[in-house]
Amino acid sequence: MKKVININFQGRVTPIEENAYDILKQYINSLTKYFANEEGKEEIINDIEGRIGELFAETLKKGNACISDDDINRIIDSMGRPEDFEADELNIQSQLGTAEKEGNEQQKTTFTENNYTTYNASKKLFRDENSKILGGVCSGLANYFGLDPLVVRILALILLFSFGIGFIPYIIIWVAVPSSATQIIGSRRKRLFRDGDDKIIAGVASGLGHYFGINVWIPRALFLIPFFSFVFKWGNVGMWDYPSFLKFSFSPGTLIAYIILWLVLPEAKTSADKLEMKGEKVDFNSIKETIQGDLKTFSKKAENWGNNITEKSKEWSDNVTQKTQDWSNKTQEPMSAATNNVKATTTNYTDQINRNVQRTSRGLGDIIALIFKIIAYFIIGSILLSLVAGLFSLGIFFTGLLPLKSYVLRSGWQDAMAWGTLILFIWVPVIGVITFIIRRITKAKANSNVIRWGFSALWVLGWFCLISFITVVYKDFKYKNNINEENIVLSNPLVNKLEVNTAPLNNYYNNSIFNIESFASIEEDSAYVRNIWVRIIKSNSDSFQVTLTRQAQGYNKKEASELANKIVFDITQRDSVLQLSKGVNINNIDKFRNQRVIVTIAVPVGKKFIVSHKANFGRYRGDRIHIGFDDRDWDYDNLEDGSYKYDSDREYIMTANKGVVPTNYVIKDGKYDYDSEENEEDNTQEALENFKKSKQDLQNEIDEKKRLLEKQQQELEEKQKELNKTIDTIGRYKYKAAIPKVDISKKAMVKEVNLGIYYSESLLNRLVI
Amino acid sequence: MDIQNTQSQMRKGVLEFCILSVIKKGEVYPSDIVVKMKDAKLHILEGTLYPLLTRLKNAGLLTYRWVESNSGPPRKYFVMTEEGYAFYEELEKTWKELADAVYAITNEESPLNTQN
Repeated sequence: MKKVININFQGRVTPIEENAYDILKQYINSLTKYFANEEGKEEIINDIEGRIGELFAETLKKGNACISDDDINRIIDSMGRPEDFEADELNIQSQLGTAEKEGNEQQKTTFTENNYTTYNASKKLFRDENSKILGGVCSGLANYFGLDPLVVRILALILLFSFGIGFIPYIIIWVAVPSSATQIIGSRRKRLFRDGDDKIIAGVASGLGHYFGINVWIPRALFLIPFFSFVFKWGNVGMWDYPSFLKFSFSPGTLIAYIILWLVLPEAKTSADKLEMKGEKVDFNSIKETIQGDLKTFSKKAENWGNNITEKSKEWSDNVTQKTQDWSNKTQEPMSAATNNVKATTTNYTDQINRNVQRTSRGLGDIIALIFKIIAYFIIGSILLSLVAGLFSLGIFFTGLLPLKSYVLRSGWQDAMAWGTLILFIWVPVIGVITFIIRRITKAKANSNVIRWGFSALWVLGWFCLISFITVVYKDFKYKNNINEENIVLSNPLVNKLEVNTAPLNNYYNNSIFNIESFASIEEDSAYVRNIWVRIIKSNSDSFQVTLTRQAQGYNKKEASELANKIVFDITQRDSVLQLSKGVNINNIDKFRNQRVIVTIAVPVGKKFIVSHKANFGRYRGDRIHIGFDDRDWDYDNLEDGSYKYDSDREYIMTANKGVVPTNYVIKDGKYDYDSEENEEDNTQEALENFKKSKQDLQNEIDEKKRLLEKQQQELEEKQKELNKTIDTIGRYKYKAAIPKVDISKKAMVKEVNLGIYYSESLLNRLVI
Repeated sequence: MDIQNTQSQMRKGVLEFCILSVIKKGEVYPSDIVVKMKDAKLHILEGTLYPLLTRLKNAGLLTYRWVESNSGPPRKYFVMTEEGYAFYEELEKTWKELADAVYAITNEESPLNTQN
């Protein structure tokens, strides 16, 4: 089914399909752009339109009801697309924006302006052929965001060199984004759009799918994979591990990529856009062609640059020599001229700098805005996800409580309201959100209002259930029982030390997912609730005394008292161990109305007690058994010791003056042991000793080293001496060798002298003789 | 060296000459030119032809007249002006010289062969 419209084409009413009309319009536009600089372009276009009109008339004459897509494409093929036209090479190149610099400057500037306005008008992303370096990606992006291409180029280079990832997006954009030349010539190259018709969020994935001619779900899956990993990551949904559940770890990379594509890609709105989106096949060859063509021009440009640079360096060196000559002349010129000159140039520079700063600041502002946008999207997405996840885990948690319902809630109103709360308040929004997602995926459009209002109404009902549930349950807990105390007779109240223990219980849930503390044990039709407080007071006599206090709540005092009476709690003594029941029993009929027991132990002065924790109390110390007068829920008259909370597994001694004082013993791993604090002290002492010892060792080592060093120094000195000696001897030899004649003459002299003496002596001898 | 580029350069030179020679024979409608050239295995797109005709017309070599058509809008029939004839003759002269020269050069026997 296609819409047919009537157009007035060349003075004739022509029925034409809407799609075909879009194509025709686009074709004419491309011609207008192509012949923009041609003299008499109106006439040319009019001629071509006239011919098209004639071909339309022929088509309609053949019996076609209207001009279809095929007709228009056939006609355009016969007329030829601008890129197929044979015109002056220079003309084409200037149209493409690849004209040589020497080309008609004026023509080029007008073209650029023309081009710029088209960018602003349509805001489509193109690779900019006019100011490209390699593929025109950076300048295209800059054009799109209204930035200085230099800013984008610098950012791209920073990305490339700091992360090494800049190149991949560059290639992708290079291949996927059409060159601005295609816009001018209006070719039917395939273009990357967001597909508004087939979208879940913004149609990015489907646009990519159309572009690469693959199933839409492939890019979708690629975008979703990190989210799947997030979904499958949830380990513990339990109440107590809830915060760790929120520590989801999914890569924000694809989310950001998606958002960037969302912002950058145009949506295919007109049917011409849609045709372009699905247009000709993008295969490896077309990609190769694009890139090869660009690389060719790039190498040419690089060559030009090389030439330019050599030329410029030559010029520069010439300039410099000239300038140095000038300089010597100029220095002799009047100073005023020079200062004027400097002023002029500085103002010129500041102007330029100001302009540049303005430009860059505008660019930076845009970038910052973009970054904020991305961050905002990301945060909103995260919050929504965690909300859904939290709601879901809450639902699971409360559903997990269902088996315990009968121990707490009366059938009838309470029960109904509990169900209502669970289903309507917790699960309805979860299901609603899931439904919403599924409907978005399947693009179901029918009854969306009905469903939305339905879910909303159910949730409002859920609120009502929640509120009435809380009120009816609260009513049942309103009143407390009368005082119910029982003295327990101990078999051996004179022991020196009393160890308080509880019977182990079979955990209803022994995994970490559901850990519902109060309902730790269920057996047959009764559950055991660890609602036990242990209270220590000073005994007046020299024997231990134990009192059991039963408490409960109810809708009136009578019911509360009855419930308290029904509590069965055994306390037995075996040697020094005081064994307590594992918990307060409740059952389906009597329900849980906060039944609890307070075991008051009166400890005589000088005797010790310890409250054990070893009997399977759960993960947390000090929470189950309340030693002393924890103020929590304590509505009995406070006794002398106040609300000091004792540690479990620690031995205490009752003193006359200072009340309860801890001794040095604790139970550790079921063993009677020294106090850990003392141990810690020991440890520190030990550590200190170790430290001292190690210091001593270090000192010893240093001394040793010093001694060694001295020894070595001595050795060194000796060796030095030896070396000096050898040097002396060498010097002597040299001396000897260098002036042997002197030596000889000396010797000779000596000999002569000796001889002289000899002679004189002999002379004397002779004289004497 | 791009072969396509060279080929299209060659074609371009003779295109105007061929179009003028078709128009010289009498009043003609542009799509008739396309057909005639197609018959001669010289393909030209109408999108290329129209700007060329406009250029020639603006140069004063051609003129046209409107003819009512029973199938579609009125048609533009092109006819050659006096200047056009002169221009064409110049082109024809050049072409013949060029063709002879090209023929002579491309068919010249190698010096070795002429000696035999």
